[in-house]
Amino acid sequence: MNPLLLLKIEWCKFWPSGTFRVFIGLYAGSFALVMFLARSMGQNMTFTSNGAASHPLAGLFDYPNNWALLACIGSWMNAFVLGSLGVFLITMEFSNRTLRQSVIFGMTRLEAAVSKLVWAVALALSATLFYLVLGFGGEILDGNLGLPPVGQVACFGLQALGYLCLGNLIGLLIRQTAISVLTYLAYVLFLETACRWFFYFSVAKTRLLLFLPDQVLGALSPLPVPESVNHAINSSPLTRSLSTAEAAVAALIYIGLFAALFCRRIIKANL
Amino acid sequence: MPVLTVRNLAKNYGSLAALDGLSLSVEQGQVFGLLGPNGSGKTTLLAILLEVIHPSGGSFTWFDGGEGEKVRRRIGALLETPNFYPYLNADQNLSLVASIKRRPNPPIDELLDLVQLRDRRRSAYKTYSLGMKQRLALAACLVGGPDVLILDEPTNGLDPEGMVEMRQVIQKIAAQGKTIILASHILDEVEKICSHVAIIKKGKLLATGAMGSILSDQPTVEVGATDIENLYRLLSSVPLARKISRQENRLILELEPGRIPEEVNRLAFEHGIVLDHLVSKRQSLETEFLEITRK
Repeated sequence: MNPLLLLKIEWCKFWPSGTFRVFIGLYAGSFALVMFLARSMGQNMTFTSNGAASHPLAGLFDYPNNWALLACIGSWMNAFVLGSLGVFLITMEFSNRTLRQSVIFGMTRLEAAVSKLVWAVALALSATLFYLVLGFGGEILDGNLGLPPVGQVACFGLQALGYLCLGNLIGLLIRQTAISVLTYLAYVLFLETACRWFFYFSVAKTRLLLFLPDQVLGALSPLPVPESVNHAINSSPLTRSLSTAEAAVAALIYIGLFAALFCRRIIKANL
Repeated sequence: MPVLTVRNLAKNYGSLAALDGLSLSVEQGQVFGLLGPNGSGKTTLLAILLEVIHPSGGSFTWFDGGEGEKVRRRIGALLETPNFYPYLNADQNLSLVASIKRRPNPPIDELLDLVQLRDRRRSAYKTYSLGMKQRLALAACLVGGPDVLILDEPTNGLDPEGMVEMRQVIQKIAAQGKTIILASHILDEVEKICSHVAIIKKGKLLATGAMGSILSDQPTVEVGATDIENLYRLLSSVPLARKISRQENRLILELEPGRIPEEVNRLAFEHGIVLDHLVSKRQSLETEFLEITRK
């Protein structure tokens, strides 16, 4: 098994696809646009209290909060666009029956599974690179260049990979594009939150509920709010989230689990 | 030398047995037809042989006891429908197949010439007619010069002209000495292309062998005369035909082994009956197939 050959095969398969390019354009475009709007509106937002004007959001755009804010905006793109792309990459193979055909042409089932995971890693790295480009771009505009925190960048890449793997797995389990994408979006939008609240109020008030997949992946890019606000958020069990370190470890475990389930399913299932 | 040996292969979907202890063998250079009505298990058998479906029991071996991806790269297969990326053109799809088969620099021009698609090589697959899609699938099967071709209903959905073209291409490939396994429910197709045949029904093997051994050598004779009743009585009274059936004002005789149609004419003439119709027919695969599958 040659991962570079598998990556080349995936590139040749997907790069010419119009739908794939729309996803990539949507990701890059919406990420850049939201960041641009946030900068243009947030930086100049003024609050007046007792005759004194203040810029409470200005700190969000200062180093190193600028990188955390960018990651926080990117986390929405990762969850919605990149995760949906993860679903599409799998269901497209099933709707065209091309995964099955690849096995007929001589690819092993394990290679078929690994090629998807290698492609997900490549896409997550590309998303991280784009995150860096946007971040440095903003800093150059501000004339205030600072290196991004390494942990922040790693967490962003981990988050992108996590959503892609979750999307891949849902796509593989359901196989039908529209139903898979809707299921995925429903899960990250409200299903997991609804389940968490239901368990919290009806079953057990346990901290384990913070370790659900979307909670974990979301906690990798917390909003860089002042400590007082952060304290208020964490005082409520329903708005509380994991620390970044906890989330990183849990995300690694989830990515491993999703990848293992994905491989097992492709190896065992009738294609 | 057997290219494929199948032993007691079984596949169950719940209580439904799609394959029921099927065994057969395909030798090198044969054009082997898998014949059976719709739902008889032909595609299930091929899908198991290509490892896209897991069997419930039994085993199979390709070539000298192998299985797995190295074996599959020696096989070119079209299973059910042609499956390609709709937005890629013929060149791009064939290059992908070559990458999967680990065959760099495939002779794409030659393959596209063989299946007459060279002038549409830059068109997206989704713009192709069904016949063109089938022909591209055949070209994909041939990437890497496989030792065995598996074709599942290759003329399915084609118009008569497309069917003839596809058959000609298959016969051209067969003439190169390649082993071909062809599944079809179209008897005429199998009879025209295949050297050997296996008849499957409800997942069971009903008959297998060379086409000549499945088709009876004994001819069927169709006779007619003005006095058809008298002719019927005469022919029924002598051990000339093992079965006589009537079709309007004609008699269909299945002759006993060693008997020839001239004897029917001579016997009738000697008894004062002049035949106004005598046609000798070789038993068709259709007749044989219907007889076997109705048992």
